[in-house]
Amino acid sequence: MQAFRTVRGRLLFWVLAVTVPIYAAALYMSYQATAERLEAGAARDADELAARLAADIDTVIRPIEGGIRTVAHQLEEVNPPPEQYALRIHGILNAWPEVYGSTIAAEARAFAPYYYRRAGLIAYADLASASYGYATLPWYRRAADTLQPVWSAPYFDAGGGETWMITYSVPFFRAGREGKRELAGVVTADLALDWVRSSAARVRLPPFTAGWLASPPSAHDFITPIGNADVRGAAAVRPAAEDMLSKGRTFGFVREEANGEASYLAVRNLQTLQWRLMLVMSRSQLLAEARAVLRRQLWLGAAGLVLLVAAISFVATGVSRPIRRLADAVGGAKDGDLDFPLPQARRDETGVLTAALARLRDSLKQHVQLRAASIAAESRLEHELQIAASIQQSMLPRRAANPLPPGVEVAAALIPARRVGGDLYDYFTLRDGRLLFAIGDVSDKGIPAALFMARVSGLIRVLGSAGEPPEKILAELNEKLAEGNEACMFVTVGCGTLDAADGRLRYASAGHDAPLLRRPDGSVTELPTDNGPAIGIEAHVEYVATETRLASGETLVLFTDGVTEATARDGAALGVDRLGKLLGQAGAERLVQGVLAALNDGMTGYHVDDDLTLMAISRTQPPQRHCFEPDLANDGVRQALAWLRGVLATHVDAARITDAELIAEELLTNLARVARERGPVRVSMECALAAAEILLVFRDDAAPFDPLAQAAPRLTDDIHARSVGGLGIHLVREIANDVRYTRERGENVLEVRLNRKTEEA
Amino acid sequence: MSLKIITDPDKPTTLALEGRLDTHTAPELEQALDRMLMSAGIRRLVFDLGKLEYLSSAGVRCFVRARKILEPVGGKIAIVNPQPAVQKVLDIVKAIPAGGVFKSVAELDAYLDEMQRKVREGE
Repeated sequence: MQAFRTVRGRLLFWVLAVTVPIYAAALYMSYQATAERLEAGAARDADELAARLAADIDTVIRPIEGGIRTVAHQLEEVNPPPEQYALRIHGILNAWPEVYGSTIAAEARAFAPYYYRRAGLIAYADLASASYGYATLPWYRRAADTLQPVWSAPYFDAGGGETWMITYSVPFFRAGREGKRELAGVVTADLALDWVRSSAARVRLPPFTAGWLASPPSAHDFITPIGNADVRGAAAVRPAAEDMLSKGRTFGFVREEANGEASYLAVRNLQTLQWRLMLVMSRSQLLAEARAVLRRQLWLGAAGLVLLVAAISFVATGVSRPIRRLADAVGGAKDGDLDFPLPQARRDETGVLTAALARLRDSLKQHVQLRAASIAAESRLEHELQIAASIQQSMLPRRAANPLPPGVEVAAALIPARRVGGDLYDYFTLRDGRLLFAIGDVSDKGIPAALFMARVSGLIRVLGSAGEPPEKILAELNEKLAEGNEACMFVTVGCGTLDAADGRLRYASAGHDAPLLRRPDGSVTELPTDNGPAIGIEAHVEYVATETRLASGETLVLFTDGVTEATARDGAALGVDRLGKLLGQAGAERLVQGVLAALNDGMTGYHVDDDLTLMAISRTQPPQRHCFEPDLANDGVRQALAWLRGVLATHVDAARITDAELIAEELLTNLARVARERGPVRVSMECALAAAEILLVFRDDAAPFDPLAQAAPRLTDDIHARSVGGLGIHLVREIANDVRYTRERGENVLEVRLNRKTEEA
Repeated sequence: MSLKIITDPDKPTTLALEGRLDTHTAPELEQALDRMLMSAGIRRLVFDLGKLEYLSSAGVRCFVRARKILEPVGGKIAIVNPQPAVQKVLDIVKAIPAGGVFKSVAELDAYLDEMQRKVREGE
C-alpha cells in the first residue's frame, strides 16, 4: 500500500472509487435500454410480419370462403338437380385458380362429383364410389354435423391431389317437410397449400430471424418456413410457441437445446384458419447492436478513465512534487547546517508553506547563532569559574608547605556549594610557635562571596602574621571591611591561637557559630565564647577573646553553617547536637573524614546547599623522641636497625618499618664508610613518632656533607654506563616524604620524614 | 640471610635468596657470586627472591655487579618473584632492565622456553 501513502495514490483511489461504479451503472442502464428498445422493435417486427402474412392469406381465403358460401346459398335457393352440380363445380374452379378441386356432395343419396386440376386440365373423380365413402370423411362430417362452414386441418391428399391441402366445407340446405330446413349436402373447395408456401417463402424476414407458419396442432401438422428459414427448426420452438399461446403471451425466450443459445420467440395467431406465425430471433444477434453500442461506450469510458487518471496524476504530482522538494530541501539540512536552499516559491499553498519554512529556517539560524554566542560566553565564564575555583582552593593552607607545631594535628575540608564559595579557613604556625587558625563564612554564595572571601582570607593572613591576638585581628578585619562596604556583605569569623606546648587556647568570634570541643572520652561540648557582631556591618567594634585550655587528646571542631544546616531526608537540619554525635572518631583527620562520610552516606545522606567547611584541631601527645647512638666501628648499623625496629614495632605497619629501616641502613652505611675511610665519626640517631608521620633525625660530626646536593645516579639500562654506587641516597630520597639537610653547631643534620601511612600509588 | 644455589642441567643456575639482603649479608652473596661467575661458564643467572624480605642498596649492588660481569659476555640475569617491599626498591633504582623481572617461576620458564625455541630455529 505504498501508493496509498502518496497524495496521487489517494486521489486516484477515491476519484476512481466514485467514478467507476457510476460509470458502470450508467453503462449497464444504457445497455438495458438499448436491449429493451431492440426487443420492442423485434416484437413490433413480428406483429407487422404476422399482419402482412395474415393479410396475404386472407386476400386469397376470404373471397374463396365468400364464393363457396354463395354457391351453397344458391344451391339452397335454386335447389338444382344433382345433374347440374358439375356446372357449378366448374364455375368454382374457373373463378378461383387457387382452388385445386371442388365437389358438391349430396346428403340424401351418394352423389359427389369431384373435379380437380391436373396437368392444366380439369379431371373428374366420383367420390361416391364405395371405396371413398365420403359421408364418413372429416371434410363432410364436420360440416354436416355442425351445419356450419368449416376449414379442415391440412392434410396430404394421397390418391387425390397428391399435395398438401385444406378443404373448406359449407353445408347447404333445402326446405323439408313441415317447412324445416334440412341438410341437403356439402359444397367443398380444396385449396392446395403450395401458394401458402410460396407466399410465405416470398416474405423477407429481418436479419437473424427464422419464421414458420404452422397450422393448429393436429394429426398432420402443416408447417411451412417463412422466407428462407429451415423447416426443421420449427419443431424445436413449436411446444414453446403453443405454451405461450395458451398463456396469451406473444413474446418470450427459448433456449436452443443444441447450443444453449437463447433466442426470442414471437408468436402470433392469424385471424383466418387459426394458423400460427412463429418467429425466432437469435438473442445474441438481436443484442449484437446493443453490445456494439456497449463496446463503443466501454472504449469511450476507458479512454475517459485513462484521461482522468492522467489528469489526476498531473494535478497530484503538481501538488506533491513541490512538497517533496521542500521536504528534501529541509531534510537535507544535516548536523545543524541551516544554509540549505529552499525551492522557488510558487503562487499556491506550497508557496505559502515554502515562505513559512524560509522564515522558520532564518529565525532558527538566527537563534542558533545567538545560542552559539551564548554557549561561547558560557564556556568562557565556565573556564573562568574553573580557574577561579582552583585559585580559591590554592588560597587554602596546604599541609606540606605549612609545618605544624609539634603536638598539633589539623585537618580541614571546604566544599563550595557552587564552583566557588564564600567559606574560608586558614591555619599557620606563628613565629613564636603558636598555631593561628581561622574559619569564616561570607554571607551569600557564588562569585560575590568568593571575591569577598579572597579579601578576608588575605587580610587574616596579613593580620595574623603580624602577631596580633585573635580579638584584634577581628577588630582590624572589621575596620578594613566595614569601610566602603557598598555591597553590604558581611562575614562571620572565628579566630584563635593555640599554644601547642601547654594547650592555651585563645578564641574570639565575630558572629560565628561556637566551635565544639571533643574530649578523649568522646563527649562533646560547645566552646564557651563571647560572640561579637559579624564583620563588615558596623565599624569600630571591639571583640572579646576567651581563653581556655585544650588538653592533650582534645579536639576543637570549627564549622560553618553549611554543616549544621545540611538537611536530612526527613527535612530536618543536621544541627549542632547531631553534628556532635558524628564526632565519633578521635584525631583531626579521621574526625573530618568521618563527618564528611556521614554527610555523603547514600542511605542517611544529607542535602547540602550551602558552602560547607569543617576544621578540626587536635592536640596530640607531644611525640616521644627516642635516641640511639650507634657505634659504627662496632657493628653499629646492625644495632641501630634492631633498635629502630623495636621503636617502630606495633606503632607502624610492617611495610613502613621496612622503609624506615632501609633509610637508616643506607644513611648509616654511608657514615660507616666515612668513618672507615677518614677516622671515627660520632653519630646520633633520633626517632619521633608523630600522629601522622615518623621523623628520623641523623646527626654526625663528620666534615660538612650534604647528601642531597649529590647528583642522582645514572639509572640507565645500559650496564656499562651505569653507576654501581650512589644508589643508597637515591633510595632514601625516593622513599622518604621529606628530607632536609642542615648544618647545625658543627653537625650534619639530616631530617627525614616518613608518613605513617604508605601512599597507595 | 640464607642462600641456596640450585643447579639444574636443563635450566639456568638459580640463586634462591631468603631473609634480608643488606649491608651485612651482601658481602656473603658477593663472594658466592664471584666464585660462581669466575669458575663455571655461567651465562644465565636467576635470582629467586620469593623469600627475600628486605633489600637495601648493598644488595642491589650485587645484582648490578652480576650484570656488569655477565652482560659484556652476552649473559643475562633474571629476577623471579620479588615481594612488594623488594620490588619497590628494584623499581626505584631500576637495577634490572624491563623484561628481566618475572612474577613467578612459571612465567620465567615460559620466557626461557621461548628463548630456546628461537635459538633452535636459528634466530
